[in-house]
Amino acid sequence: MHSIRKLTRAALIALTLTVTTLLTHSAAVADESAATPDEVVTKVWGAAKVLQTKGASAIPSLNNADGPWVWKDSYVFAFDCRLDRMVAHPMRPDLVGRPIMQVTDNNGKYIFKELCAAATAKNGGWVEYQWTKPGAGQTSRKLSYAVTADLAFSTGIQVAAGVYDETLSLEQLNKMTAEMADPGNYSH
Amino acid sequence: MQQQKQGNPAVVGLGGFGLTTMVLQFHNVGWMGIGPVIWLGLIFGGLAQMIAGFQEKSTGNNFGYCAFTAYGSFWISLALLLIGNQFNIYVSSKTDIGWFLVAWTLFTAILWIGAMRIHGAMATTFTLLLIGFILLDLAHFGYPQLTVVAGYELMLTALAAWYMMAHVIFADVFGRNILPVGNPWIKV
Repeated sequence: MHSIRKLTRAALIALTLTVTTLLTHSAAVADESAATPDEVVTKVWGAAKVLQTKGASAIPSLNNADGPWVWKDSYVFAFDCRLDRMVAHPMRPDLVGRPIMQVTDNNGKYIFKELCAAATAKNGGWVEYQWTKPGAGQTSRKLSYAVTADLAFSTGIQVAAGVYDETLSLEQLNKMTAEMADPGNYSH
Repeated sequence: MQQQKQGNPAVVGLGGFGLTTMVLQFHNVGWMGIGPVIWLGLIFGGLAQMIAGFQEKSTGNNFGYCAFTAYGSFWISLALLLIGNQFNIYVSSKTDIGWFLVAWTLFTAILWIGAMRIHGAMATTFTLLLIGFILLDLAHFGYPQLTVVAGYELMLTALAAWYMMAHVIFADVFGRNILPVGNPWIKV
């Protein structure tokens, strides 16, 4: 009797483990194609650093759809708030060189006015709007992180990238970014 | 025996200095890209101004000898530095370029004192040039918005250099002094 109970318990543990593994795996598979917020921050900081290091010569790489600034379902894009101009967009070359401040999403939100305001903050900031995911036919909720990149002989240009997500809040994302920018201030 | 008329190398030096200074400012204020600055910097601001500088040697003009040769070198160095960034050869960051400009500011300060002993137009040109360099230094060390201020200020520098070029050329072709250059700021 005792051994049957033992066997049942072992079987239950095994089943639980299997189900947990399967669920974790499926979640991982589902996430594999979606960029994460921390990836976005890392990519945006990386692009800003390359612009600081290499100046205007780094801009063509930001326009390359097969380049290092396009990954999973996301990409880095660059714009100049002072000159009201898209500087680089690997997915929408038609927008490059064109004015940005009048661009609105389906809800009438002036996307770049908000991105420009967010980019002036010390560690940049996140903005929520509707945008078409690469390859998708319709718009979805996009949360983009923007910073200002410093480069020689320039007042600086703005660099951003985003995640497509229905649940994340701007507060969560700004908190995560502050933590990534200054890990010393946060203990775990 | 009649001596063959000699040209004044300063007309080429001032022409190249003014034109490349002007196009860099067209870039700094955001009107155009960096491409023409690089190529003009190599040929007119660089090669031609440097040759004019070497030709100043035989006129006995040490100020022109030093200034044109040095600013010709400035343009060749700047163009090569930007080309180096494109090809990942000794990449120069915004900070590196800032220090490059600081060194040229110090050098310009010495020539500025000499310029004040030459005539009013030369003193004006070098005062504007020195202020422009200082503004660009600040723009590369924490005040990027000054790039635009430096841009407009250095356009005046370029015009002042062209004024001196026109002074020499017009005096020659009209046979009299059309554009006055004014008295030296420092009188001994």
